[in-house]
Amino acid sequence: MKTRMLSRFRARWWLLLLAPSLIAAETTTREEAGTVEFFEKKVRPILVSNCYNCHSADTKAAGGLRVDDRNGLLTGGSGGPAVAPGNLEESLLIEAIAHADGAPKMPPKKKLSEQEIAVIRAWIEAGAPWPEEKFEVAKSPANESKHEKLRNEHWAWQPLNRATVPAVRNDAWAADDIDRFILAGLERAGLAPTGDADPRDLIRRLSFDLTGLPPTPEEVEAFVADDSENAYENLVDRLLASPAFGERWGRHWLDVARYGESTGASRNLPMPHAWRYRDYVIDSFNADKPFDEFVREQIAGDLLTAETDADRQENLIATGFLAIGVKDVNQRFKVRFDMDNVDEQIDAVSRAFMATTVSCARCHDHKFDPIPTKDYYALAGIFTSTDLNAGLRNKMGGGGLDYYDTQRLILLDKGAAKADDATSKKLIKLRNEVAQAKAEFERVRDSAEASEKAPDGRTKLVVARQAFRKKQAELALLNDPAANGARIALGVTDKAKPADTEIRLRGEAEKLGPLVTRGFLTAFEVPGTQPVNRSQSGRKELADWIASSANPLTARVAVNRTWQHLFGQGLVRSVDNFGVTGDKPSHPELLDHLAGRFIADGWSLKRLVRTIVTTRAYRLSAEEISANVQADPENRLIWRHSPRRLEAEEIRDGILAAAGVLDRKRPAGSPSHSLEVSELPNNGPKAREIRQAARQSTARSVYLPLLRGVVPETLEAFDFVEQGMVTGNRSVTTVPTQALFMMNDPFVRESAKKLADRLAAEVPADDRVRIERAYEMTLGRSPAPSEIDRAASFVKEFSASWPVLNEEIEPEKQKPEVAKAKPAESARPAVPVNPDEVVTQDAPAEEVRIRYSDARTAALAHFVQALYATAEFRYVR
Amino acid sequence: MSESNKSRAIGPTALPRRELLKSASAGFGYLALAGMLGTQAIASTHAADSSPLAPRRPHFPAKAKRVIFLFMNGAMSQVDTFEYKQQLQKDGGKVGPGGGTLLASRYGFKRYGETGTWVSDLFPNVARHVDKLCFVRGLHTDTPAHPEAVIQLHTGAALAQLVRPSLGAWLLYGLGTENQDLPGYVTINPAPNFGGTVNYGSAFLPAHYQGTKISDTGYLPNVKSQASADLQRRQLDLLQGMNRDLARRPGAPTELDGVIESYELAFKMQGKVPEILDISSEPQHVRDAYGVTDGPEGSFARQCLMARRLSEAGVRFVEIAHPGWDQHNNLHAGLTRNSRATDQPTAALLADLEARGLLDETLVIFGSEFGRLPTAQGPDGRDHNITGYPMWMAGAGVKPGFSYGATDEYGLKAVEGKMHTTDLHATLLALMGLDHEKLTYRYAGRDFRLTDVKGQVVEEIFA
Repeated sequence: MKTRMLSRFRARWWLLLLAPSLIAAETTTREEAGTVEFFEKKVRPILVSNCYNCHSADTKAAGGLRVDDRNGLLTGGSGGPAVAPGNLEESLLIEAIAHADGAPKMPPKKKLSEQEIAVIRAWIEAGAPWPEEKFEVAKSPANESKHEKLRNEHWAWQPLNRATVPAVRNDAWAADDIDRFILAGLERAGLAPTGDADPRDLIRRLSFDLTGLPPTPEEVEAFVADDSENAYENLVDRLLASPAFGERWGRHWLDVARYGESTGASRNLPMPHAWRYRDYVIDSFNADKPFDEFVREQIAGDLLTAETDADRQENLIATGFLAIGVKDVNQRFKVRFDMDNVDEQIDAVSRAFMATTVSCARCHDHKFDPIPTKDYYALAGIFTSTDLNAGLRNKMGGGGLDYYDTQRLILLDKGAAKADDATSKKLIKLRNEVAQAKAEFERVRDSAEASEKAPDGRTKLVVARQAFRKKQAELALLNDPAANGARIALGVTDKAKPADTEIRLRGEAEKLGPLVTRGFLTAFEVPGTQPVNRSQSGRKELADWIASSANPLTARVAVNRTWQHLFGQGLVRSVDNFGVTGDKPSHPELLDHLAGRFIADGWSLKRLVRTIVTTRAYRLSAEEISANVQADPENRLIWRHSPRRLEAEEIRDGILAAAGVLDRKRPAGSPSHSLEVSELPNNGPKAREIRQAARQSTARSVYLPLLRGVVPETLEAFDFVEQGMVTGNRSVTTVPTQALFMMNDPFVRESAKKLADRLAAEVPADDRVRIERAYEMTLGRSPAPSEIDRAASFVKEFSASWPVLNEEIEPEKQKPEVAKAKPAESARPAVPVNPDEVVTQDAPAEEVRIRYSDARTAALAHFVQALYATAEFRYVR
Repeated sequence: MSESNKSRAIGPTALPRRELLKSASAGFGYLALAGMLGTQAIASTHAADSSPLAPRRPHFPAKAKRVIFLFMNGAMSQVDTFEYKQQLQKDGGKVGPGGGTLLASRYGFKRYGETGTWVSDLFPNVARHVDKLCFVRGLHTDTPAHPEAVIQLHTGAALAQLVRPSLGAWLLYGLGTENQDLPGYVTINPAPNFGGTVNYGSAFLPAHYQGTKISDTGYLPNVKSQASADLQRRQLDLLQGMNRDLARRPGAPTELDGVIESYELAFKMQGKVPEILDISSEPQHVRDAYGVTDGPEGSFARQCLMARRLSEAGVRFVEIAHPGWDQHNNLHAGLTRNSRATDQPTAALLADLEARGLLDETLVIFGSEFGRLPTAQGPDGRDHNITGYPMWMAGAGVKPGFSYGATDEYGLKAVEGKMHTTDLHATLLALMGLDHEKLTYRYAGRDFRLTDVKGQVVEEIFA
C-alpha cells in the first residue's frame, strides 16, 4: 500500500514535467478524444503495435494485464487498475508509458513518443471510450412457448405425486408397497417374478451392497443356519450399523461430488486437506444425517448456525464440496479463473443434487431444457459472492509454490495462526528477500550470465532460481498455517461485499452484459422458499431451495441414486440427467412413492436403504426365465436380480479381506496431507511416493490417496471413477488389462500368498481341507467335490512342476523383494529453470518377485490367485 | 452409460443399444478382419457388433487407416526449423509488429526437393523427404500456455478444467481397431504434466477407448508373468475351468464370455506385446537408420521404431513425444540438441514406412501445441506464439509436397488458410473417414463432439 501511495506522489510530480506534451495534445479536442473513432484511429494502433505481444488474449498477458479489452484495462493486472477513465493520476498505464520512477517501464525497451503518450492521455481523460460490443439476450418467442410447455409438462419438474398403491393379483408375493408397484408392472406385461434368492447369494449381495465388503465364512454360516423370523432384518440392521456402511455409501457420494485430492487439469497440484471432506461424508452417512441437512451443509455450511464448536467445524468442512473440483490454476486471467470455478460449482451443485445440466446456459440458453442464460447468471451471482478457499491462486507459467495461497484456507480452530510480532517482523523481512531473490533470478535469466558456470559447476541461472525458490519456500512455510500445525479445511465463505453479476456474452468472462438479480432456476417452482438474502451470497437460500421437500428434483434424484446402487440401474437410468434429454422413469409412480416416503421418514438414507433391501423385489434370485428374457431383456421391470460386477474398491477390499489383512480402521488423514502444494508430474518422486503409499496400504480403498491423474494402480483396472466430473454411475467394462492385473499384478500375487500362508497356518495340512476353506474365504461358498478334485490335482501337479520349471524357491523373506534399478539419469538439471520442463521419462519399473517358502505354498498361492481371478469373485448375484 | 449413443457410425455396424447399456464385452475382441479402407469393409459380423473395439465402418470412405503423431512437446520454434521467412532474416534487430525485437534465425535455410521447400539446417534428414510432406502453415489456437494448449490439442477442450475424451479415444470409439490382440491406442512417453493422463484418457467414454501408456523403454505394467509360461497356463486352465462352470450356472452374468475371453487375450498379449515392443529384434541396420541407442538421448529414436512396429501391427493411433522444446532461454543449444534427437529418427520412420508400403495407409503428423514468436525473449530465447504456426503431415490421405495456409512476413500471425486446432481435429477425423459432427456421445444430457460446436474440414489438403 505504502509503495503504491509513494508512486502516486511521484505520479503527481512528474505530471508537471510532462506539461509540454499537453500542448501537443491540445490539437485534439476533448470531444474528439471522446469518440470511438479517435480510439480506433489513434489509440488502438499504438496499443496493437507496442503492447499486444505481451498483453493480449493471444499472448501470456504478462502480469495478468491485457490491453485488448476495456475491462482488462479497467481491472488491470497484478499492479492494479491500468486505466481509470477520466483520471490520469489513478491510471497506472500512464505511469508505465511515461517510464515513471517506481512504475513498470512500458514498453520495456522503447519509450513511446511524446505524441503517442499524449494521445493515450487524451483518450483516458476523455473517459477512455471503447466500441460497444453489441449485446442482446436473444429472446425467441418460439423458444419461450416451448419452454412454457416443458415447464408445465416435463415429468421431473412437476410436484411429487402421491400415487395410490396399485392392486395386484398376487398380493401375497408383496412384502412392501414397493413390491406392489413392481409386481403391477410385471403383471401388466404378463410376466411373473423369478424365485427368491438363495441365502448364501443373498448375504453376499447384501454385504457388498451395504458395506462394500464380503461376509466372512462364519457370517455366512450363521445366516444360513438362522431360522428365526427376523434373521434377514437383523442382518440388514447389523450391516447398516457397521462403520463400513458409511465407507461404502460415502464413496458413492464422493463419485457424485467429483472428489479428488489435487487440482487435476493443466497443472496438477495437491490439495492436501481435501480428505477432511471425505471423512465428513463418510461420517455423515454413518450418522444417518438427514439428507436435506447434508445438502444444506455442503452448499452453505458456513452460513448455518451451529450449536457446538464441533458442529461449526463440521459445517465448514462440508463446504469442501464446493472447493474440491478440478481447477485450472494456470489460467492467465483472474476473472476467467473465477468464472471457470463458478461454472464448476454450478455444474456440481446442479448435477449432484438435481441431476440437471445448467452449465450449457453459460454461453447460450439451454438447447433442450427451459434454462435461460439469465438463470445461469442468477446462480453465478451467488457464487461470485463467495470466496473459494482451496489454498490456490491462478498464475500462468508459475513454478514452485507460486500457486499456493495460504490466505485462502479455512482455519478450523478459532483464533488459530494469528501471527505474533516476531513472526510479523520475520514476514516482512522474508518478503523483501523473496522480492530481491526473484529480481536477481530475472536479471540473470535475461542476461548473458545465465549460461555462465558458478563455482560448483551449475549454471548461474540454476543457482539464481534455486536461491529464489528456497526463499519462496521459507516464506510459504512461515506463512503457512498448515506448516504451523493448524487444522485446515478447504471450503467456501461469503465475500465481504456480495453482489449480483452480469450476463457474459457467449460465456466470455470479460464481456459484460446486463446485471442479473441473484436467484434460482425458473424451470420449476419451489413453494415456501425465500429469495436470496441480499446481504449475503445467497447460498443459504439456495441450499434451502434445493433441500426443500417441495423441490421436485432433490428427493427424486436421491432415491433414484439409492435405487441404482441396490438394483444396478436407476428407475431413471440417466441418474445425472433428469432433463428433457434424459431417460424417462420406468416406474414413475414408484419413484414418487419412494421420494415421498424418503421425505416423510426425515430424509433418512438408512431407512430408505432398509426399506428397499427388505422388499421381495430386492431379494429375488438372479435366475433367468426364458420368456422374461425375451420380453424384458434389460430387466427394467425387475423380474429377477441382475448380477453386478463389483466396483474397483470392492475388488481390492475383497481381496484384502479374504487374505485376512484388511485394516478396518480409518487411517488418519491421507498420504497426500504432507505434500507440498507445488506441481506434481505423474512420474516424479512425489507421485511415486503416493503410489507406493497406496500399494503398501491395507486400509479400505476409500482411504487411499486419490490425487487426480495419480490413481492407485490397484483401483485403475476396474473402471475407477473419473475424478474430474460428477459421476452417478460408473461404466463397467471388460478388458484384458483387468485379466493382466489379476494374473500378474504384485498386489494380487502378494495377497494370494498371504491367504495361502494363512491357510497353511490355520488349517490342517490337508490340501482338500485347505481348498475347501479357500473357497469359503474368497467366494463365500463350499466347493462341490468335483471342484475340490480339480483344485487338488492342480496343487499337486503345480507343486511337482514348480522346482523343475521355476528355479525360484528361495527362503522366504519378510517382505517381497523389490529389484531396484538405478533411476534414469536425467539429461537436465535437477531443478529446471523452466518449471514446464520436466523429465518425461519414467524411472525404470520395479519388478516385484514373490518368494515362496516351498513348492506347496507356491501351488496353494497360485490356486488362491485363480480364485481371486474368477468371474465369480468379481460378480455378486 | 444410460443414454443412447447411436450416432458414432452410420449403417449396420452401429452398436445396438443393449450392447452399449451393458458396456461390457470381449475387450479387444477376437476378430482378424480384412482392411477397412473405404466402404468395401462390411466387415462386421454379429460377433463384431458385440465388441466395442471391433472395426467399425466409417461414415465415409477413409483415406487413412492409422495415425502416428510425433508430438514436439513444448512448442518448437517454427522460424528456426520449417518456416522460412525472408523478411525476418532481413529485419533481425528491428522492432517487430506488436512490440519486441525481431530475432532472425541463426540457422541456414536451404530449398529441398522438387518442390523447393525451405527447411533449416536443423532438419537435414527430414528435408530429404520434403516432397512427401504436406504442410499446414496457418494453425492457431486459444491459449498461449502449454498446459491448456496441450490439453486442447489432445482433447479439443479449450477449458482445461473440462475433462474430455482424447483424440485417440474418439478414433477408437468411432472406428474400433484392427488388431484385437493389441491395444488400439498407444501413447509412448507422454507428458507427465500438462494434464498428464487427461491427454490420452477416455473421460466419459467407456474405458475401452483410453490410451495405453508405454514408457520409452517399452515398459508396460503387468505383461510379464513371474511363473513360467507353462505353469501360468496350468493356472489359467484351472481358472477358465472355474469360469466355464459358472457360465453354465443358470442366471450367470451375461458378460461372462467376455471375462473368459479377456483371459485368453491377456495370455496372448503377454507374448505379443513385449515382442512388438522389443526393438532389439530389429536388424542392426534398421536400428542404426533410426539412431537407436540406450539412454535418454536415444529415446525418440526408440519411440519412432516402436511406433512403426505398433502401427504395422494394426494399432489405430500411436503417439510418441519429444519433450523440451520450450526455449525461453538457451534457444540455440536447445534447438540443436532437440533436432539432433528427432531429425534422424523422424526421417527414418518416413523412409521405413514407405519402404514397407505402409505410408499409403498411415498418416504421420509432426508438430507442437503452438509455435514461438519471431521476436527475441531475453538474450537467447523466444516466447510462445498461438497466432500462427505450422505442422506437417505425410502419408495416407494428404497431398505430398503441398503447403496450405501461410503466416505473415515474419511468421507471426496466420493470414491465409487459417486453421484452428478444432479445424485440425475435424480434418484429421475426416481423413480417418469420420464426420466430426456425427461422431457424438451423449453425456449429461448433451451430445459431445471432439470439435464441440466448431470445426471446418480443410479438404484442400486431401490427396
